[in-house]
Amino acid sequence: MKQKKAVRPQTEPSAQAVALLEKPESQFKEMWDSLRENKAAVLGLIIIAFLALVALIGPFLMPFDPDQSNMSQSFRWPDGTHWFGTDQLGRDIFSRIISGARISLTVGLSAVAISLVVGVVLGSIAGYRGGKTDTVIMRVMDMMLAIPSILLAIAFMAALGKGIDKAVIAIGLVSIPEYARIVRGCILSVKENDYVQAARVIGNRNSRIIFKHILPNVMSSIVVRATLGISTAVLDTAALGFLGLGVQPPAAEWGDMLGRARGFIFTAPYTLIFPGVAITVTVLAFNLLGDGLRDALDPKSRKN
Amino acid sequence: MNRLKKAWAVALAALIVCAGFTACSNGKAASGATSASTKTKAQDTLVFAAGAEPRGLDPALVDDGESTKVISNVYEGLLKYAKDSTDVEPCLAESWEISKDGLTYTFHLRKGVKFQDGTDFNAEAVKFNIDRQLSPNKTDDMPYADFVFGAVKSVEVVDANTVKVNMKTASTPFLKNLAMSLGAPMVSPTAAKKYNNNLNEHPVGTGPYTFVSWTKGQNVVMKRNDNYWGEKAKTKNVVLRFIADNSARVVALNNGEVDMIDGIDATVVSQIKSAGNKIYEAPGLNVNYMAYNTTKKPFDDPKIRKAVSQAVNVPELVASLYQGYSEPATSVLPTFMEGYDKNVKQVSYDAAASKAALAAAGVTKLHIITYSNPRPYNPINGQALAEAVQGYLTKVGVTATIDAYDWTTYKAKLKAGDYDVCFYGWTGDNGDPDNFMMLMSSDDPIMNVARYSNQEYKNLIAKGAVTPSGTERSKIYSQLETLAAQNAVWLPISHGKSLSAYRSNVKDFYFHMTGSVFFSGISKS
Repeated sequence: MKQKKAVRPQTEPSAQAVALLEKPESQFKEMWDSLRENKAAVLGLIIIAFLALVALIGPFLMPFDPDQSNMSQSFRWPDGTHWFGTDQLGRDIFSRIISGARISLTVGLSAVAISLVVGVVLGSIAGYRGGKTDTVIMRVMDMMLAIPSILLAIAFMAALGKGIDKAVIAIGLVSIPEYARIVRGCILSVKENDYVQAARVIGNRNSRIIFKHILPNVMSSIVVRATLGISTAVLDTAALGFLGLGVQPPAAEWGDMLGRARGFIFTAPYTLIFPGVAITVTVLAFNLLGDGLRDALDPKSRKN
Repeated sequence: MNRLKKAWAVALAALIVCAGFTACSNGKAASGATSASTKTKAQDTLVFAAGAEPRGLDPALVDDGESTKVISNVYEGLLKYAKDSTDVEPCLAESWEISKDGLTYTFHLRKGVKFQDGTDFNAEAVKFNIDRQLSPNKTDDMPYADFVFGAVKSVEVVDANTVKVNMKTASTPFLKNLAMSLGAPMVSPTAAKKYNNNLNEHPVGTGPYTFVSWTKGQNVVMKRNDNYWGEKAKTKNVVLRFIADNSARVVALNNGEVDMIDGIDATVVSQIKSAGNKIYEAPGLNVNYMAYNTTKKPFDDPKIRKAVSQAVNVPELVASLYQGYSEPATSVLPTFMEGYDKNVKQVSYDAAASKAALAAAGVTKLHIITYSNPRPYNPINGQALAEAVQGYLTKVGVTATIDAYDWTTYKAKLKAGDYDVCFYGWTGDNGDPDNFMMLMSSDDPIMNVARYSNQEYKNLIAKGAVTPSGTERSKIYSQLETLAAQNAVWLPISHGKSLSAYRSNVKDFYFHMTGSVFFSGISKS
C-alpha cells in the first residue's frame, strides 16, 4: 500500500512544477483555498490546533499532578473531581491525557523531523547523483523497508533503552526510507527538466541546484507524506508504549496507559477508553489533514 | 536464462503448495483431537484447564507447578499435607519415629498398597525411590533431589513394611519435604526399570488416578484407579487441558467447555462471578517483597533502609493494588505457617519521619529494578508495584528511576547487582519456615537479593534447621523475623492468594496452598 502512495506523486510534480514556476508566490494561497473547501481537512486542522494548544498550556489545565500516584484513590469512576476517573495507582486520567498529548506530539513531530531531514538528504543525493551512489543508498533503504517498521522500532528501542528521546530516534530512523524513496522518485522526474539543466549550465553547485531548484518543486509530496507520517509516528509511539518500551515511568504516554489498562477492560473500562480515544482522534486528525493536503496539492483534482 | 527462471518458479510453487498441505493436515489433526476430548466429556468427566503443559510426569525429573497437577493425582508420597496447612499427615507411611539426635527416621508403611501396574508398594520400593535420587544414582536432571533428600545418608530395609532412613545431619524440614509433589512421590520401581528410569511419559504411582494419555499441546487424560487403597475417586475421568491465554481460559470456563481453571488474577474475578461460576481462594505459600541492596551505599545503613521503608504505606498499597486478593504482609512467613509470630512488627508507615530522615541523610534518588511479568506472589506485575512505591517515594522527596525487565533478563540483572532497591518474591516449596527465612542467609545473589550477610542471622538459621519442631524451634524463627525487621533488610509487602475458578455444578473443589490440586474428592452434578 505504502509503495503505491510513494509512487503516485512521481508523475505529478513535473506538470505541477511548470504551473508553480509561473507564479510561485501564490502556491500556498492556492493550496490554502483548496484546502479550505475540504471540510474534513479543516476539521483535522482544528483538532490539531486544539491538541497543540493543549500540549503547550497543558500544565495550566491539569487539575492534578499527572505523575503523582495516590493509592487511596485508585480506580475511581469518572466524576466531578476526576473527570476521566483514576488509574490503578490513583493518578488522574484527565491530567495524564493532557500530559500525554505533549509527549505524543513531541515524539510525532520530532520523529518526522528526523526522518524528513535524513530521508530528504539521502533521497536527493541518490536521485541526483544516480549510479553507484544511488544503488548503495537505495538498497540500504530497501533493506530497512523489508523489515516491518514497528519491528525495527522495537529492535532499536531494545538496543537504546527506554525514554522519549530514544523513542523519537527509533521511530524517526525507521521511516527514513519512505521519505528517501519519495524524494528520489520526484527528483528523478524533475532533474532532466530544462530549468534544472539551465541551472547547471550557468554553473550552480549541486547542493544549490538540489535545494534551491529541485526540492521546492517536490515539496508538496513531501508535505503530504510528512503530515501522514506524523499520524504514523503517533501510532508507533503508542505501540511502543503499549509494549512497555516507551517512556520511563511515571511519565504519561497514551499507548503506555492503554497497555496497562488492558487488564482492566471489564472492571475499569474508562482507564482504557480515554487514552484510546485520544490516540484515535490525534491520528485521525493528521490523516484528515494529510488527505486534504494531498487533494489540495494534486493538480488534477484542483479546481480552477 | 528464462528456462532457469521457470524451473525456479515451479520449484517455489511446489514448495508453497507442500507447505500449505502440511499446514492443513496439521490443522485437521488438531481439530480431530479436540473433538475427541469433547466426546469423552460427560457427567463423569472433570475438565481442568491449566495455563501450560507439564514438563514431564516423573516427580524426580521436573520442577514446575503444571507437572504437579498430574503428579499429585497419579502418585503419592510417604506423607501428605493437611488440607488447610502445611502440617504433615500419614499417607503411604502410617506412622514414623525420629531418633533423639534426629539422625534416624523409621517409617512404618501402609500394608497392601499396590502401584497402578500391580507392583507391590513396600520398603524395597521406598528404598528404590530414595536411592534413585541419591549419589551416585542421582542424575543432573533431578532438580529437587538435593532439596528433598540432600540430608539423607542411606536407606535401610528393616522388613517388608518398615524402612529406616539415616541422615547425614539432623534436618527438621525433611518430614515436610516428604509430603511435596516434587521429588518425594513414590514411583513404581518396575515401571522405572521398564522405561529406562524416566517416567516422564509413563507415570505409574499409587495415587487415586491412573494415567491414560498425554496428547502434546492438547491434554493429559487420567482415569479412576479402581484398586486404590483409600477412598476411591468420586469422578471417573479427569482431563487436564492446556489453554495458554488467560482470557481464553476464562472464556472456556464461562461457556462450559471446562469445569475448573487456575492461574487467574483479580481482574477477571467479576467476569467469572457474573457468569455464575465460583472463585476458590487458597492462601498463598509465598511472600512478595521489596529488598534493599545491603552491600551498596547508602543502603548498607539499616537506618536509611528503615527510612525508605517508612515511606511506603503497605496496607494501603496492598488493598488498592491487589483489590483484596493478597494479604498485607506483617512478617516474612505466611500466617498459616509453623513459626509465624503475630508479635513481629515490620517498619510501619510514617511519611514525615521518613522525609526528615532521608533529607538529613541526603538521599534524593534511588534506582529500582523490577520484573515486568505477573508472578504467583504478585499477580499484578512487578512494574505496577514498583511504580506504586515510586509514588510514595516522590512524596518524601526521593526520585526513583525504574527499570523493568522480563523475568530471564531480570535474574541476570539481579546477579549483576547494579540496583539500590529491587522487587522479588518467593513461593515456598515445603511449607517449612526454614524454606523462607534461609533466603536472607543464602550466598546465592539470586536467592538473597538483598545480599544480606549477618553472622548472627546465619547461626540462627543453622540452629533452626536442626532443632525439632516445637515451641523452641518457633522461637528461633521469631528471632529471625525480628532480626530481619529491625534491620529493614526487606520490606515484606504481601502474601498473594492463589485464585482458581470452577463451575457452580462442581462440588468440593479444592486447591492446596502448595499449588497442588487433588481431583479425587471433586465431583460434578
